[in-house]
Amino acid sequence: MLTGSKTTFKVRQMLPDIKERMLSQSGVSARSRDVLGLRCLPGECVLQRAVMVRKKLSAREGRGWVSGTLFCTHFRVAFVPQDSPKPDDNADPVLLGDHDVALASIEKVVVVGPNRTKLVTPNSSLKFTPEELVLYCRDLRVVCFLFDRLTPDAQVLEITYTIAKTYQPPKPGSVLSFQNAALGSVEMKQFLSNRRRNTDMNWFESASDWEHELERSGASGWRVSSVNDRFEMSTSLPRSIVVPQKVLDTELKKSFAHFNEGRIPRWCWRHPRGSDLLRMASFQNNIYHEKDDIRNLEMILFGCQSSLCVVVELDEELPSPADIQLAHSRLRALCLGDISTSVSVPDDKWLSTLESTHWLDYTRSCLRKASEVACLLRGGHLTVALQEADDRDMGCVVCSLVQVMCDPHCRTQSGFQSLVQKEWVMSGHRFYSRINYHRDNDKEEAPVFLLFLDCVWQLLSQYPSRFQLTGDFLLALHDSIHLPLFSSFLANCQRERCKRSQNPGQSYTPVNGWRDMLHPDSSSDPSDPPLPSVWDWSLQYSKHRRDRFTQPMPPIPPLQPLLNGNLNTNPDSHRLTDTIPGSVFLLSRGIFSCPANLLPWRSGSSGVYKKSHRRAASSENVPGLERLLKAWAQAEFPQGLTSSSGPQGPLDPYEPLLPLLMGPCMGLWRECYLRGALHAQAFSHPVSANHPHPVERLAREVQQLKDKLEQVSTGTDLNPPTKMAEPRRTDTNLNQNTNNGTFLFPASRPQSAGNPRAAPPPTSTNHQTSQGFPPASAAPSRPGHRDNGGSNKHTFLFGHSSVAEARPDQRYYPAPQNAKLPKSNGIQSAPPHDRL
Amino acid sequence: MEKSGSIDSLGSKRSSSRQPSVDSLSSTSTSRSDRSAQAKAASAMSCDSGATPTELSPELRVKPKTAAKQVPRDSDKEEPQLLPNETVHDMAQDVTYFCPFIGAMRGTVTVTNYRLFFRCMDREPSFVLDLPLGVVSRVEKIGSASSRGDVSYGLVCKDMRNLRFAHKQLEDTLRKSIFEVLVKFAFPVSNGLQIFACEYGQVFPENGWKVYDAVSEYKRQGIPNESWRVTKVNDHYEVCDTYPSTLAVPVNIPDEELKRVAAFRAKGRIPVLSWIHPESQATVTRCSQPMVGVNGKRSKEDEKYLQAIMDANAQSHKLFIFDARPSVNAAANKMKGGGYESEDAYQNAELVFLDIHNIHVMRESLRKLKDVVYPNIEDSHWLSNLESTHWLEHIKLILAGALRIADKVESGKTSVVVHCSDGWDRTGQLTSLAMLMLDAHYRTIRGFEVLLEKEWLSFGHRFQLRVGHGDKNHTDADRSPVFIQFIDCVWQLTRQFPAAFEFNENFLVTILDHLYSCLFGTFLCNSEQQRLKEEIPKRTVSLWSYINSQLEDFTNPLYVNYTNHVLFPVVSLRHLELWVGYYIRWNPRMRPQEPVHQRYKELLAKRAELQKRVDDLQREVTNRSASSSERAGSPTRSITPVQTFV
Repeated sequence: MLTGSKTTFKVRQMLPDIKERMLSQSGVSARSRDVLGLRCLPGECVLQRAVMVRKKLSAREGRGWVSGTLFCTHFRVAFVPQDSPKPDDNADPVLLGDHDVALASIEKVVVVGPNRTKLVTPNSSLKFTPEELVLYCRDLRVVCFLFDRLTPDAQVLEITYTIAKTYQPPKPGSVLSFQNAALGSVEMKQFLSNRRRNTDMNWFESASDWEHELERSGASGWRVSSVNDRFEMSTSLPRSIVVPQKVLDTELKKSFAHFNEGRIPRWCWRHPRGSDLLRMASFQNNIYHEKDDIRNLEMILFGCQSSLCVVVELDEELPSPADIQLAHSRLRALCLGDISTSVSVPDDKWLSTLESTHWLDYTRSCLRKASEVACLLRGGHLTVALQEADDRDMGCVVCSLVQVMCDPHCRTQSGFQSLVQKEWVMSGHRFYSRINYHRDNDKEEAPVFLLFLDCVWQLLSQYPSRFQLTGDFLLALHDSIHLPLFSSFLANCQRERCKRSQNPGQSYTPVNGWRDMLHPDSSSDPSDPPLPSVWDWSLQYSKHRRDRFTQPMPPIPPLQPLLNGNLNTNPDSHRLTDTIPGSVFLLSRGIFSCPANLLPWRSGSSGVYKKSHRRAASSENVPGLERLLKAWAQAEFPQGLTSSSGPQGPLDPYEPLLPLLMGPCMGLWRECYLRGALHAQAFSHPVSANHPHPVERLAREVQQLKDKLEQVSTGTDLNPPTKMAEPRRTDTNLNQNTNNGTFLFPASRPQSAGNPRAAPPPTSTNHQTSQGFPPASAAPSRPGHRDNGGSNKHTFLFGHSSVAEARPDQRYYPAPQNAKLPKSNGIQSAPPHDRL
Repeated sequence: MEKSGSIDSLGSKRSSSRQPSVDSLSSTSTSRSDRSAQAKAASAMSCDSGATPTELSPELRVKPKTAAKQVPRDSDKEEPQLLPNETVHDMAQDVTYFCPFIGAMRGTVTVTNYRLFFRCMDREPSFVLDLPLGVVSRVEKIGSASSRGDVSYGLVCKDMRNLRFAHKQLEDTLRKSIFEVLVKFAFPVSNGLQIFACEYGQVFPENGWKVYDAVSEYKRQGIPNESWRVTKVNDHYEVCDTYPSTLAVPVNIPDEELKRVAAFRAKGRIPVLSWIHPESQATVTRCSQPMVGVNGKRSKEDEKYLQAIMDANAQSHKLFIFDARPSVNAAANKMKGGGYESEDAYQNAELVFLDIHNIHVMRESLRKLKDVVYPNIEDSHWLSNLESTHWLEHIKLILAGALRIADKVESGKTSVVVHCSDGWDRTGQLTSLAMLMLDAHYRTIRGFEVLLEKEWLSFGHRFQLRVGHGDKNHTDADRSPVFIQFIDCVWQLTRQFPAAFEFNENFLVTILDHLYSCLFGTFLCNSEQQRLKEEIPKRTVSLWSYINSQLEDFTNPLYVNYTNHVLFPVVSLRHLELWVGYYIRWNPRMRPQEPVHQRYKELLAKRAELQKRVDDLQREVTNRSASSSERAGSPTRSITPVQTFV
């Protein structure tokens, strides 16, 4: 019925046809392959295909064109290059191939005909046979397919209509059907439910996860409280929060009311110099402060530092979510260009138009704020509390940026994933509302997380060798945001996520009825597919792409201090020894002040702390703090730049990576935003001029060599009783064995071929066999570590999900005061529920 | 070559005697990060204190002979390390230098016949400014004596910076200020002195004057062949005094006819071969504009000549003439007797205008750029300010033009003729960039030197006029940053194809630094004829002598020799960047955060090391498995299959 005629026909007519074809093509076996080499997901069916199609390759892919077959399934638009290797039927399913586009990430479908271009909507009809098909994606990709003259016209038209019909223009309700298309099949559900979780990272889901973070950063004086275990205290906070040890849960409970949404000051991270980083929402002002309350509030706010607390105000200088949304939409419009409307900014206005989006200004202001905080922290022995009205947007950005700058662990892939898990997913960034998958809440939409990724990219581009993760990783994360498939992003807080994951016993609905925004109709519909986490990368990307997520060579701290020309790096000159206990300052616009109403309970009426407050405001202290930021401020006004800093000793690896923030230093993330820009080239060339970036190639080569070496060395360097677990399998074991609660080793390292650390094969054999506790031999296997007085408790893990303990590489602070771990503390070791 | 031994020993002497100051002097450049880490530590400090202007002393690394023989100086001494035949002419204490980044500081100024040297001892580490006088464009006394009796001088430099000094009013009114003395040596040409390059007596192990030989370069390209010949018609520069003596022309045009063609081309710059495609025989030829004039004059010989160029390429029956100018400008040139080829007169030729503006527009654009980047950058309007200079837009047009030429030659297999008005500015930019895209040989260090020697120096880019070496007349309308633009375009190419070039950013910066420094003879004079007349190769040292003697400083560790690859860069402004490492390098806050090259080298070393280990281990495995086959049950038995994984 569909002929090659170029006459008009309505897409609607095709609907039954699609259904029909779906049925006919979704073969007997769900794992069947299409004849032309598309590896289908379980339950996925091909709706339409077109042969002899060429795909335009980006500069990263080597430019030029590659020919192959184009498919449209009800989940994705897939492209299989002609000479691609035969798919392996036994491999685990990967959602998207290297050339594929998920339907949900398509934003617009445009066809280019002989003399014209046309936007194709589900209802549009074509009066010509397209020569080119252009898919504009939400993640700023532009994918371009060229039809050959030999492609049958009928196929061209049909696949165009099919894509236009099925790509799900943004409307409420389409998300669920997309999820079902991707993950809804029985096989897929089963596959997902059997999936093991990545234990290299900290998921921050349970109290023990937080305890590990405390231990890793060497923070003493803090404990994990489960006072919010049923989300009674704050609906948006996670179950476990970290508070000062000296505050009891009963006391703690009274403080929630003093903060917006109950988001009390919580510990996030400790700087190796002993400063603590806290986050909180704004104060509730219209509340009566009882004397006891005040004592507790002060204790919570000051944490373990008795002397000094700096409240960093985030709302004023940083962009609001609405600003970010506007800037991002402008940036999109600028970078994508648009064939169909030919509204593309002319080249000679590119720079000023880019400037007028303000996107770079916003990244700069976030980085600047984070740099300020990082400088404050390195002064040592103070508490820095980031305060934002609702503590769910810029608080996440700044808090995590500070950690990326200061903590080398956060610059590794697993560390970064843990960081996002800690500061974004668990601490209640409203991913679901901010991304607005359902297109039903445009007011709330704001790509705050993407702004954060851009900031990280800026750091990465200025300090490429200080990161273990790569730009490819950031890009993958950027793109994943646009797929409504991941539990990480499909909820606004841990509470919603718990509800989604059908743990009714653990979630709790308050009497006043918390509206389930997620699934108004089918919140507990058991047919919903289980949603994977975004960190399950092997589900999304092929191994070859995942290999590019990390640098093959671990970053080494450089030998000399990196003066970026804007900081006096001598820490001792900034020691704030002279501060009076109990001083609170406000840092706003780069200036310290001590406004009377900073802490509502100290101001005016209550009067209890008035005296000490006055004392704190004495003039001696403010200059001390001013000094702290002075060097930083000097960077902004080069006239004041001093060169007083003398040569340093060996570089402190925790020296913050302070980015250069001048105009010419803020780059545009071209690999992300200009990936698809079709107008970029003056005219296109079929000749591929260059291959992937040589550093990448070099990196890959090094990786391959390492792999090879790993294989060879595991065999040769180890002495006899090697029951030879196959080297390739060590990795998979690492991933799969996580629920056993066994101790895991970091992936064996080829560099250490000759040293005792490289003894993984015996252990991998061990943990294959052991179900419960690891053999005692596991303990000495962590030679790089602080001696725990013989305690091998790290190797005993809690039975449930908290296997994440085995991250020996993450611990970085062998400080002496650390000998007393929070976990070994009597109060702490009690199960959380006992304290309620 | 036999001198290399002495250099080595000198080098070691240097490292023992004045390590600290050399490090602080030489390692401040933006991308010269592949120095040793220790050196970096020192330089990082000194860069913070603004000791950046010492960029131009990399030659210190190859130790000047005379200075080495002198008493080893402490880096604390107030005098600079002198080059051979460099002499101190004046010194002044208590001079204030107003650094726009650090602030005012007092110190000592030394003026030699080569440089201005300022050192401030009050700071730790001491601040040093080392400025070759060739960089100075003009010296101006700013204002009258202030109330405190200070006189202040501004030095406007050719390399994107201005310096300001002040000192006390001299009591002895007869005595000249040090800055008056400086003027004499900064502008030797105007003062009847010799340019320092003619005195500089450094001996390098390599002789850069031998880098380029026209005949062997043509030979490399396969010339002469059946369609092209090498002619000596210009041996005495009689046909064209701005062309080289050796030219490649179509075989069937006799020398006599060449002279008649020369009469029709501006300044006698006839179309001659720049590059020939090794396979298709499509050629890039360059010339000046035809003398068409308002009356539309024609020249039979010229028409026949272009036909011969087209016929030399059997693959195509078309010829593209790229006129670099905007069509309006080309038309305006008719009033002055010039113009462009009419398509009526030249059959099968297609004329394309590339819209590149003239030297005056470019000069103005760079001036605006300097205003935007030095000394302070307005962050909030940085991009729109940059846009308003149009600098990147000009870069884009030049690259786009070169890309079209390269595309016609490579993809279209068509010969092209390139010209502008005189054929020594825009034409040189276009042909050399196109050749860089087309021929991998020019992307090596020596190849690039050949390219500069050939397309720029021998074909008469007027360096003396465009740069104004030693000339105090800074308002001369012939000054223009044409060559800087070209190097900028090359830098853009290296950004887009990081592995395609054997040289690194440091190489390009060094070339630009010595474009002004007047230390080497390479960029002196306007043409081959002048250079020969002035005996430049005999009297001066070539820049390539210096560079080729320490190649490791200029090598790109990632270089992969893609022999047959043609580079087609993306020329959209969206993918061009301002060359921060050159234009904003004086700003201490712009220093790159990371020694990227260091990282590359580490990766390369790591790869080599791993490769070696893999090889070793595999060898061991094979050995063992060989022996284990004798002793059954050997533990390594299970390993063998692993090798299949490659």
